[in-house]
Amino acid sequence: MPSSGSTENLIAELEQLGITVWAQDGRLRYKAPQGSLTPELKRRLTDNKDRLVTLLSGYLVHEAFFFGAGNQRIFANYHPAAGGGGAVLTVICPPLFSDYIRTHLALRELAMALAERGQHVLRLDYRGTGDSFGDLSEVAISDWVEDITLAVREGREISGSSVVRLLGVRAGALLACKSAGASSDVQRLVLWDPVPDGASYLQVLRGIQEALCERNPYLSHGERRDAMHEYAGYTLSERMVEELRLLDRSAYSSVPKNTLHVVSTSSKTGFPVPGVPQDVAPFRCDWDTAAAELIVPRPVLERLIACLIQS
Amino acid sequence: MSDPVLTEETLQFGEGGRLSGILTRPGVPVRDPPELPVFVFFNAGLLHRVGPHRLYVHLARDLSRMGFSSLRVDLAGKGDSPPRPGLTNQQSAAADYDEILRVLESRLAPGPLVLAGLCSGADNAIRLAPKDSRVVGLVLLDPVCSPDDGFSARAFVSKYTNTARYVAWLKRRFEAPTTQPARNEGEIDPLTLRDAPTLEQLRSAFECIRERDGRVLSVFTLYALQYYNQAGQLGRVLGVDGYQQFCTELFWPQAEHTYTLDLHRRRLVEVIRTWAGGYLGDHVR
Repeated sequence: MPSSGSTENLIAELEQLGITVWAQDGRLRYKAPQGSLTPELKRRLTDNKDRLVTLLSGYLVHEAFFFGAGNQRIFANYHPAAGGGGAVLTVICPPLFSDYIRTHLALRELAMALAERGQHVLRLDYRGTGDSFGDLSEVAISDWVEDITLAVREGREISGSSVVRLLGVRAGALLACKSAGASSDVQRLVLWDPVPDGASYLQVLRGIQEALCERNPYLSHGERRDAMHEYAGYTLSERMVEELRLLDRSAYSSVPKNTLHVVSTSSKTGFPVPGVPQDVAPFRCDWDTAAAELIVPRPVLERLIACLIQS
Repeated sequence: MSDPVLTEETLQFGEGGRLSGILTRPGVPVRDPPELPVFVFFNAGLLHRVGPHRLYVHLARDLSRMGFSSLRVDLAGKGDSPPRPGLTNQQSAAADYDEILRVLESRLAPGPLVLAGLCSGADNAIRLAPKDSRVVGLVLLDPVCSPDDGFSARAFVSKYTNTARYVAWLKRRFEAPTTQPARNEGEIDPLTLRDAPTLEQLRSAFECIRERDGRVLSVFTLYALQYYNQAGQLGRVLGVDGYQQFCTELFWPQAEHTYTLDLHRRRLVEVIRTWAGGYLGDHVR
């Protein structure tokens, strides 16, 4: 079993042992050949009873779990393909910092829409972000690139999919390409408003930080001074800043052009690599400001779904 | 197990596994579990269970290192939990709370609870506390309050004596005028869903906590300036007997509503840790 979180894997394991489990009137039922249900399996059935019941009742539309090693565990949400089957797995590589908060709802909706259309979807939180373990001060870009690789592996094991597609959002686009460039597993990469490179992204974060300090007339001199070490309200380690600065547009060019597709919300933003197909979806995202609104940009989501489900 | 001192478990519970949450527990219990309250974190507006800028994650993990368990949960219609059709916000939160109690009972020994939340999270905590005798503590971040007698005078003085406001005003005058772009369709202010409790409900929550020998921590930020502008105002408005003995009230106008700056989040986490340490002290005695 690759992770403690996959209830689907537990069901598969039980099936291999000839044990059938089902839900009836909200209760878990099972039928097992004599001697096959070991105390360890019984314990796991008890521990996972609620999830098994919901999954087997067909209610559960996603499954949340942790995977990975020790104190480096990564949080993920797995959305199984509706109706079973499904040969394609899409891994969603979220954006960072306030972009992550603003798009959380939209990416959840996107994952559900893709699952309804027959794709398996895995949403992950990089280490030191969201519900994953670790602190921002302990991680850097290389860890996040590795997280995507691990998520692809985990998603493939859970779903059994052979075809993998990545969606990278903002800085998540750079990370997704960096990860895909080092492997041949990824068939397609769809990028939503990719940041051009790490250095310019850092500048955007500093600009947001200045705006945050400027709009607050109650900050003391000391706080203002201390706050200027932050990036858009987050304290980054020196290693993180350095690795972000080194993350240049070669991350994009290292990926075969024919696997890339860009969806942007502004026609002014050119993708750094020429010759990559780019759709413009009309929506103002205000990425470069201190905006805090959650966004559910329907035109963007529609374009992303179209790009990701295309065979 | 993922950290030598804490464990986290993903929970999908309630009817059909509708509600999502993360249960954080100390890796090694520091004392008999029923003694210490379990913290329950409610969503801040539409923000999902990690809290604004991951505030709840840091709190949950720091508290677990002190020996406290906690649940950060997506109430129906927020984060990863689908809405409950046909119910009002308050009915839905009450139904969710019953499910929360059930799942906590299935995982932990029954014991006291501390309800915590920012903005609408504080509103939910205030409304639910009187209904459950297990609730012995509240952490209220920008809860509701009413202006008191001196509010307008203080607001006037503050407005005209803050030099930083003049600097900002001058800057705006000499900068090119900008027009505020219209909001997109599909753009949602994460904190607009506020369904604030009445002053009576607020008073009732505080009185219940006092009767249970519990404690309340309230922190007001820049956001609250529209109705709150002095530490101690909440106590005066409520007029609850013995307020000073069981309540801590802080006023941080320099912090934004969602603790946007890391330095303010760290300070808040430290304050809540210290406040929670009072429960450890109670048991030491």
